[in-house]
Amino acid sequence: MTISKAVITAAGKDQTHLPLQTVVDRTGRARSALELVLEEVVSAGIEDIAIVVAPGEKDRYLAAAGSFKSRLTFFVQNDPQGYGDAILRAQAFVGREMFLHLVGDHLYVSDHTQLSCASQLVAVAQREQCSISAIQPTHESKLRFFGAIGGTPVAHAEKLYEVTAIMEKPTPTQAEQALIVAGQRSGYYLCFFGMHVLTPTILDLLAEAKSAFAANLAGNPAGTLAGKPMSVNLSDSLRKLIQREKYLAFQIQGQRFNIGETYGLLIAQMALALSGPDRDRVLVELVELLARPK
Amino acid sequence: MRSLIDLIVSPDPAVRDLSIESQVAKLTVTELLEQAQELDRFRRDRDSLYERVRALFFLYAIHRFHLPKLVPEAELGKIAFEGHQHFLQRRFNEAIDVFLSEQKRSGPSWAVSSALAAAYHRLAFQTLADQVRKSVKTVAGNRWMFRTGNPDELPLRLRDELLTKDATFGYPMLRERTSVRMDFSHSAWSDIFFLGMDFPQGARVINASINLAVQGRHQHPEPPLDCCLRVIDRPVLRLVSIDLNVVVEITQLSQVFDFAADYVGLLKAAVIASGLIPAGLEGHQADIASVLRPLVGAGLGLEIVSRVNDIPKGSRLAVSTNLLGGLIALCMRATNQVSALNGSLTEADRRIVAARAILGEWLGGSGGGWQDSGGVWPGIKLIEGSVAADGDPEFGVSRGRLLPQHHVFSSEEVAATTRQRLQDSLVLVHGGMAQNVGPILEMVTEKYLLRSGSEWQARGQAIEILDQIIQHLSTGDIRSIGAATDRNFSGPLQAIIPWCTNAYTERLIARCRETYGKDFWGFWMLGGMAGGGMGFIFNPERKVEARQWLWEVMQTTKREMEHALPFAMDPVVYDFEINDQGTQAQLMPGGSYPVGYYPLLVPGWLRQDIQSLSAETRAELERVGQLCRSSETDLASKLIARILPGKTDDSISRQSLTDLLQINGFDPVAHQQLREDLLAGRLGLAQNLLPSTTAIDDVQEGDVMDCRQPLPDSTVEIGKAAIERGEVAVVTLAAGVGSRWTQGAGVVKALHPFVRMTGRHRSFLDIHLAKSQQTGRLHGCRPVHIVTTGYMTEQPIRAAVERWQQQNGEGGVYVSSGKSVGLRMVPTIRDLRFAWEEMSQQVLDQQQQKVRQSLRSALMNWAQSAGEATDYVDNLPMQCLHPVGHWYEIPNLLRTGLLQELLHAQPRLKHLMLHNVDTLGASVEPGLLGTHIQSGACLSIEVITRRMEDRGGGLARVNGRVRLVEGLAMPNERDEFNLTYYNSMTTWIDIDRLLERFGLSRDSLSDSERVLKAVRQFARRLPTYITLKDVKKRWGNGQEDVFPVCQFEKLWGDMTSLADVSCQYMAVPTLRGQQLKDPAQLDGWLRDGSAAAIEKNCDFVA
Repeated sequence: MTISKAVITAAGKDQTHLPLQTVVDRTGRARSALELVLEEVVSAGIEDIAIVVAPGEKDRYLAAAGSFKSRLTFFVQNDPQGYGDAILRAQAFVGREMFLHLVGDHLYVSDHTQLSCASQLVAVAQREQCSISAIQPTHESKLRFFGAIGGTPVAHAEKLYEVTAIMEKPTPTQAEQALIVAGQRSGYYLCFFGMHVLTPTILDLLAEAKSAFAANLAGNPAGTLAGKPMSVNLSDSLRKLIQREKYLAFQIQGQRFNIGETYGLLIAQMALALSGPDRDRVLVELVELLARPK
Repeated sequence: MRSLIDLIVSPDPAVRDLSIESQVAKLTVTELLEQAQELDRFRRDRDSLYERVRALFFLYAIHRFHLPKLVPEAELGKIAFEGHQHFLQRRFNEAIDVFLSEQKRSGPSWAVSSALAAAYHRLAFQTLADQVRKSVKTVAGNRWMFRTGNPDELPLRLRDELLTKDATFGYPMLRERTSVRMDFSHSAWSDIFFLGMDFPQGARVINASINLAVQGRHQHPEPPLDCCLRVIDRPVLRLVSIDLNVVVEITQLSQVFDFAADYVGLLKAAVIASGLIPAGLEGHQADIASVLRPLVGAGLGLEIVSRVNDIPKGSRLAVSTNLLGGLIALCMRATNQVSALNGSLTEADRRIVAARAILGEWLGGSGGGWQDSGGVWPGIKLIEGSVAADGDPEFGVSRGRLLPQHHVFSSEEVAATTRQRLQDSLVLVHGGMAQNVGPILEMVTEKYLLRSGSEWQARGQAIEILDQIIQHLSTGDIRSIGAATDRNFSGPLQAIIPWCTNAYTERLIARCRETYGKDFWGFWMLGGMAGGGMGFIFNPERKVEARQWLWEVMQTTKREMEHALPFAMDPVVYDFEINDQGTQAQLMPGGSYPVGYYPLLVPGWLRQDIQSLSAETRAELERVGQLCRSSETDLASKLIARILPGKTDDSISRQSLTDLLQINGFDPVAHQQLREDLLAGRLGLAQNLLPSTTAIDDVQEGDVMDCRQPLPDSTVEIGKAAIERGEVAVVTLAAGVGSRWTQGAGVVKALHPFVRMTGRHRSFLDIHLAKSQQTGRLHGCRPVHIVTTGYMTEQPIRAAVERWQQQNGEGGVYVSSGKSVGLRMVPTIRDLRFAWEEMSQQVLDQQQQKVRQSLRSALMNWAQSAGEATDYVDNLPMQCLHPVGHWYEIPNLLRTGLLQELLHAQPRLKHLMLHNVDTLGASVEPGLLGTHIQSGACLSIEVITRRMEDRGGGLARVNGRVRLVEGLAMPNERDEFNLTYYNSMTTWIDIDRLLERFGLSRDSLSDSERVLKAVRQFARRLPTYITLKDVKKRWGNGQEDVFPVCQFEKLWGDMTSLADVSCQYMAVPTLRGQQLKDPAQLDGWLRDGSAAAIEKNCDFVA
């Protein structure tokens, strides 16, 4: 099965403006973050892209999409019920095909000489024909920003893991007990990269989760869901996916930058600038800044 | 001959469990040394913790118990100074190498063996401690805390629920309530970490989580540990201990790691162990605001409050570990490290909390067993060691894991009715004694590894009893549980550690049996040692009356024994119920503080300008105002009691101190002079030293008469005849309080019934009197016995002597009063620095050393703020006084007229045998008396071969003259290690020659003025030493603080420094001259045959 569709979620609270910010790409051109994300998707050979946005955001996103606007289909997440619910909004667009999913608040810089991050992931997913999450070893001090996996290395396949556990934003205490993966540096965990290739099964699981969530909510009008999920989240459904079908994780040669963090956009910008032809110039400027008295 | 290594490595348990005694009993010195050499090689290259540690204990046992039996005591050996320095710095391996090369060079000797035994012993425990530390750091879930070395890397965030502010109540509060744990079977100390890690199948405990109420203070049993956490609007870490009455606001990161600077060390340990401030941040220079910012947000701080519901210290219910567990659970919930914010914890959560509690114990420099955080779990559970498997950090290192497995008994396994019946039968008490159980836990480890026959058998019996208790729990047979716990206490527990019981406990048990007969179902040992927390099981029909009766009996028994045993508080009785929920948390509105919070905090707030208080504190004050106006609480009266001073009994104490000083011969003029000398630097620890140019050499041949071999019959006959003629009396020095024996508890050491002989607990005084009894029986004339006393010991000793005389129906025992007393002073910083920084001393294990340094820094601050060389008056009056040194005790016999009285009644009396109360082997030995008489010396001093523990001077040639020199006066520590003999203090005195030196005679003793003048003149010829002694201050519910205080003393040994006092020195067997200074010596003293040998010299009448 080839992968020809992608879903980008950008409807999260405090997240809607993030892809609309302007950054300078590695070639020195000022572009929106959204444009860079879309470029990442297209580089993997994907033509059709769905974006899930908050109500009233479509036009701004269209304006920020640059040359990619013609490929876009928009879904609006009214009455938001979580990250998983956002993906589910694109169910009709995806149909029963495997699809690439990215979060809108991340930027990606590939370390591979030829392939973008999305291209690397899609290539492995097409080879393995299963759901695959991109992952990156992440220091424990940053665990609070990401989902993380535990797993076992797949024999004879570099950087590929069979996923056995998933935790959403774990503390290091929890990660050390459940997410240790052989071969990782101490204090580093395999965290989501904000990029997955998913089979349609995930949509079934998300739909089940959404029904259960609605039922719980109906039974607790006060909204106190003691012991139950407070929203429809992707991690819970990915955890169930482990039981249903083959689910792998692939360590991308590249970096992801969460532009929603404090200084996230700044660091992403620096990474982009330092990966392009203006690297020396940017370095000189940085050194001058560093040399100035505090 | 089987190699001792076989006993360690054999796969066959029958071989592995053989005792070392059974294997070495018939070995020659050469064979034993060969075995030791093999073991030493073996232990150096083994990875297995068990193999290394067992080999080390075998080596310790060889040098402590077995080699000395084969090597003549007269073989002279010396403990190398370099080795000793390595030992003090905890470089035990290097110390062993030095001592072994000394042994190789000069052959085996008692001295070198004592050094090797000490070094192997410490290395074994260091190895164990290192492994526990390593294991606890490598438990999954704990490791990251040691990697986080920068505040920017802090990974935890407070849960959103705790950061959501309410308009009325401010930030909400997370409150955790935790029970304590009660050990059912005592477990034969199988909950020590090493036993669990080495013998998981034998490490088994049943414990119950219980709620408590102190009778007379609380209405109903509740979880006694109550903690809460909330966000505050100031960027500080505020730690509040309600029961210890202390609020500490931390502004610098370094303060968090300063454990002994205040009373919130346990809260700090919880903050670190829970990961709020990870251990890896230690040493980082930062303010606390920058550390709290990522955790709670800019400008905000955290407050953590703990309260122990009046449960006294030493309850044997693991209060501090469970408080630590509760606090850690609270902090981990708040930062999302465990699954639940409210309610119970899951089993996985409880395990990580328990692992963190062990870490916290280690950080705080304390130590508990692995069952101790049992209060975090619900109900009654079986806790067992578990075998380490592949993937565990312990795998390949030890057989078992650090953390045990918990099996909580269901209601099918232990019925609700059984639980109720248990509550209806068991009377839980705190008997009032608080003792350091550290030495006992070391003894248990040592005995487990040595597998000594009776002790190993006893461990097996204890395991069987545990199985019986499980069986009785399932059938609900409480009477049989009582019988089993009683059997456990009187059988295996005392076989393993005879010191786990004491005369107080035995007396209580005996009274229970006398009064309640069949309705007393048994004694329940709770843990560590008896005397503090204990249980007594009665027929439920009589429990209520028995509870009241027992409380009264404990009060009266305590009154009878409080001079002899270290009581920290009045006994209490508890009500209890089993807690079937385990630790519980609840998110509550702000202001839901534990009882006692506002009375502690509000006075401080009121002292500040209202405008300077934060908005939140002002809101708190308004809330307090509303609470005070409501009639539902007694908060208003508590606040008034706090804010407005009431009449204290301080003035009464002062009056009593003044009276005591006057009665006991305090010299205010000399005291003032002493203070001036101390402040001016004319007196002090450094000034105790002899001039550095003093030549101190070991004695030469002929300086000492070797009396360790049988003495000539003619000499013995002279001694016998003198005894028969009534020419000798015994003087037992008992004016001091034995600071080391009870760490400054201020009880009378002479009366401490510390050992069981001929079926009863005997005190030092009992033993000395019994030896005199035997001398009387053997020689037809019992020597007169004089017990010298001081201000603190006189009345209790007089009472004890009267009781003894009544029981024996004979007299001949005299009590000599003290005639002078000193008033303790706050030490100078100079002396504290000298004692702690200039004098070499044993470095402690890494974390304990940090705690010690922190404590010392706090004590320096105390000395500074209290005023250097000011009078120490902030304690009970008796604890502020001090005896002025044992030199005065013989002159006191002259001043009180007691010697004159004796000489009048018994004109043949010519000699005194003077000895320290803790020199238990000293007896009126005819051969030694004969030697003394033959020598014609004024004083005949007994010395013994110096061993590792015999520190504090010895017999030397000082500038060419043979004399005793005190450790306090040694200008160069190295010189002491060159001395062969140690002073036993036992001195044979020729009365007439001594009187002559004083310028007196038998006839002039009636002239009190002349006697006083003679004593004063003589005293001026002897040096005055300044010393630092530990003194305990007790407060709260069994809390104790130890302060170093300054006092002065003149010492008997300096008599030998006077050229006109003729002295001879007699080398006597160590058994006779060794002193018992520290309870940690007891077990070795019992096992090496010393106790049995002394018992043979005693005739106990009752």
